[in-house]
Amino acid sequence: MGRPVAIIGVGQTRHGRRFDVSYPELVKEAVDALFDTTGIGPDDVDGVVSGTMPSMMEGVALTHFYFADVLRSVGKPIMKTETCGSTGASLAITGYYWVASGMADLVLVVGSEKMNEGDSQATMTTVLEPFYQRYFIAGAPGIFSMQSQEWSVRFGIPEDKIRAAATRLTIDHHSDAFDNPYAHIKKKLTEEEVNNARIITYPVRLWDVCPNSDGACAVLFASEDKVKQMGRKPAWIRGVGYSGEEYWFGDSDKVVWQSAIQASREAYRMAGVTNPIEDLDVAEVYNPFTFQELLFYECFGFCDFGKACDETLKGTFARDGKLPCDPSGGTLCTNPIGATGLIRVSEAALQVTGQAGDHQIPGAKLAFAHAMGGVDQYNAVLILGSEL
Amino acid sequence: MAYRVGIVDVAMTPGWESKENFLDQVFHTTKEVLDKAGIRREDVGTVISASSDVFHGGMSCANSYYWDAGGAFLKNGSRQDGESLFAFIYAVMRIMSGSFDTALVLGVCKGSENPDDDMVTYFYTDPFYQRQIGLNETIAAALQMREYMERYGVTEEQCAKVVVKNLKNALRNPYAHVKKKVEVEDVLESEPVLDPLKKMECAPKSEGIIAMLLAREDVAKKLTPKPVWFKGYGSSMDTFYLGDRDLLDTQLKNAARMAYNMAGIEDPMKDLDVIEMCEPYAFQELLWYEGLGLCDKGKGGEMIDSARTGMEGDTPVNPSGGVLATNPYVSRGLYRLAEAFLQVRGEAGQRQVDKKVNTALAHSTHGFAGQCHAVAIIGS
Amino acid sequence: MSKDYNTLRHIVRLPHSYAAGPVWTRFYEGLKEEKIYGTRCDKCSKIYVPARPFCPGCHENLDDWVEVSQEGEVVSWAYSRESEFFGMQMKPPFIIALIRLDDTDSNLLHFVGGKALDRLEIKKGQRVKAVWNEEKKGHMMDIKYFEPID
Repeated sequence: MGRPVAIIGVGQTRHGRRFDVSYPELVKEAVDALFDTTGIGPDDVDGVVSGTMPSMMEGVALTHFYFADVLRSVGKPIMKTETCGSTGASLAITGYYWVASGMADLVLVVGSEKMNEGDSQATMTTVLEPFYQRYFIAGAPGIFSMQSQEWSVRFGIPEDKIRAAATRLTIDHHSDAFDNPYAHIKKKLTEEEVNNARIITYPVRLWDVCPNSDGACAVLFASEDKVKQMGRKPAWIRGVGYSGEEYWFGDSDKVVWQSAIQASREAYRMAGVTNPIEDLDVAEVYNPFTFQELLFYECFGFCDFGKACDETLKGTFARDGKLPCDPSGGTLCTNPIGATGLIRVSEAALQVTGQAGDHQIPGAKLAFAHAMGGVDQYNAVLILGSEL
Repeated sequence: MAYRVGIVDVAMTPGWESKENFLDQVFHTTKEVLDKAGIRREDVGTVISASSDVFHGGMSCANSYYWDAGGAFLKNGSRQDGESLFAFIYAVMRIMSGSFDTALVLGVCKGSENPDDDMVTYFYTDPFYQRQIGLNETIAAALQMREYMERYGVTEEQCAKVVVKNLKNALRNPYAHVKKKVEVEDVLESEPVLDPLKKMECAPKSEGIIAMLLAREDVAKKLTPKPVWFKGYGSSMDTFYLGDRDLLDTQLKNAARMAYNMAGIEDPMKDLDVIEMCEPYAFQELLWYEGLGLCDKGKGGEMIDSARTGMEGDTPVNPSGGVLATNPYVSRGLYRLAEAFLQVRGEAGQRQVDKKVNTALAHSTHGFAGQCHAVAIIGS
Repeated sequence: MSKDYNTLRHIVRLPHSYAAGPVWTRFYEGLKEEKIYGTRCDKCSKIYVPARPFCPGCHENLDDWVEVSQEGEVVSWAYSRESEFFGMQMKPPFIIALIRLDDTDSNLLHFVGGKALDRLEIKKGQRVKAVWNEEKKGHMMDIKYFEPID
């Protein structure tokens, strides 16, 4: 393995509808927050990793040019990572390898999105090529509905049980979001409200779906020497996993989902995690849809296949449960896509360094962060620990 | 340095328009490099590609489309947007870190499916100012060229000589897109695009799907008797607004300094045997000579007059014909590196430079008037 | 053989609404009143035009607004006789230029028109002044172009 790498600082914007600032100013807010809280200056930074969703989402191409100044990257090497929805996690992974390779000691990683400036669902259809799939798959909810239906049939999970578990998740997450100062949607929901909400694409209803958020996140990756030199409490990168599957949606199994299984196992192996439900203290699962979050628990080995609903209803993944998932409110409450995966990593770093404030999981030492991208095509997992 | 990284082999499409389907091209090129190296897809450690959604036939999340065609099915991989030398260095990092023993690097840009490059570079602008004026890469280049001529007295003839030299070299390159013999007068009399820039001084829009296999030292030595080693890298970003910059004092100097330090290059004219440079506009080759430290500031014009960068010169620049001959926007950095690799190997065919090539430099740039530069150095 | 394959023509159109934020909003209001505003950095004293929310070099927030001169000098220019450019409102013939307005520290990207188009003999340092469009939209092209002053 390469040199040890740690996260020694994070910065986030207030996420939400941010028409009060232009896009570069939004990015600046996250970068400045990072430098302000760490007391580290941009002059110390060896390189910058930048990323967003595709140009068509932004309406500006190759945004590393536009953001060059706010990223404090002038006169420095830059990388521009983009892997669709998993961009945020891929950004973190780029920062990790840059430091692990020995080519840099301090790398600033920034992800951002201004979802409300474009048309996210229309952009999503351009992920599909114009020969075949573009005419059938309209936006993200349709894809996730198909996946969810397949899952319920495969494992014979009654529809009302899935509904009950999904309702439990969304009520918990939207309530947890009150304890996260950066979260976008914060709401006390009732079961009735959730169960009777407008159908987006059956069985997905309004409160099963993440919002369109504007936001940015900045994370500082450091070598072991820099960790010592800067005197900051480190969140060590203990495991990294990434996997991608076929482009054509119909080609692979999205229930026993290979890329999700493989990315998590790759990260577990590296981190020495053998029993995730026992070993992990907290997880930030990328959950743009409640149903998908349940499926992820199974793919990541948090519980057996077909059992996620039962475990959720038992409270296993709640704030006070055995493995709290998304105490930040997760993607379900806040989704500036290009930043979202990086926010998961940043939340994991805050948890293992005891800096998560009101949504801190007491004594968290080992955290799981995840992102998903493409048309159910990519999964990325990072494991962060308070100890090396 | 953690682990030494070697380039094992490369495969690429020629630059002219192909009616072959995009995915088929990616698949065939990937397969070709793996076959050459005698390695199965299953044994490849990681796949890093470069592409750009805006140079990608109107498709978003470009890498989603070609992920499996590029051999990355159920692999750990990633993608760099806009610049293929970024993908190269990311693959190098992944091997250096000890996590992977082999890496496949892809550059993916099917120019024939895209609108004009300037329709795309127009979207590099901010929506509030430069887009309302209508800035794009060609306009930025024309303004840069004017300043170059006025401040240092570089002449239109000297700029035209770059086209003559590079297109002459391209005649011997089976991958080159533009193949024609031209004289200085042809260039000067070619259609004005945006005075002082003429049509023949602007790069074409080309096809370019390229695959390169990298490996950790021990593995590279098993896969090929002639690995070419990674020696150094540097890259540097400039400030965004064109009007905030001195267009003749580019970040290339900074990128080159980083790469030279890493590779132990002291005198580039002496230590570098061949250079492959990204010159989408002819005069930029002269300006980049200065940035790379091949000559003093303002002396790029004299450099081309001296013929020192010609095929018979002491440091040939762009034996492949460069970007003026073949310009697959996103992939062009990797095409430069591929040519540098073939030159070091002595496998550049008719365009092989007439001397022993130990060390070669590949340069790439993207953005208005060279907002970002990247430099990679490789050697035997 | 390969000539027999088809191509598929496809046009992508997507709507965007960009948040201008306070600085662009105020700058455009200035244009509507035939005023060009810059912002000055307290740290390096540079005046940037158009006005910016932050100093690219010092990274300080900029809130010191200055109305700048509408006259300045051409730093660089390029001339199109016939070429049209995607997205550009100005149709050929035109001269696009970098212009240093008096007492500012960045170059403004805009057009040089009027008499300049007859002469096409602009030298570095040519003095120019802003010419405004009658109708103002709060847009960079509210300034019609810059015209040579003799």
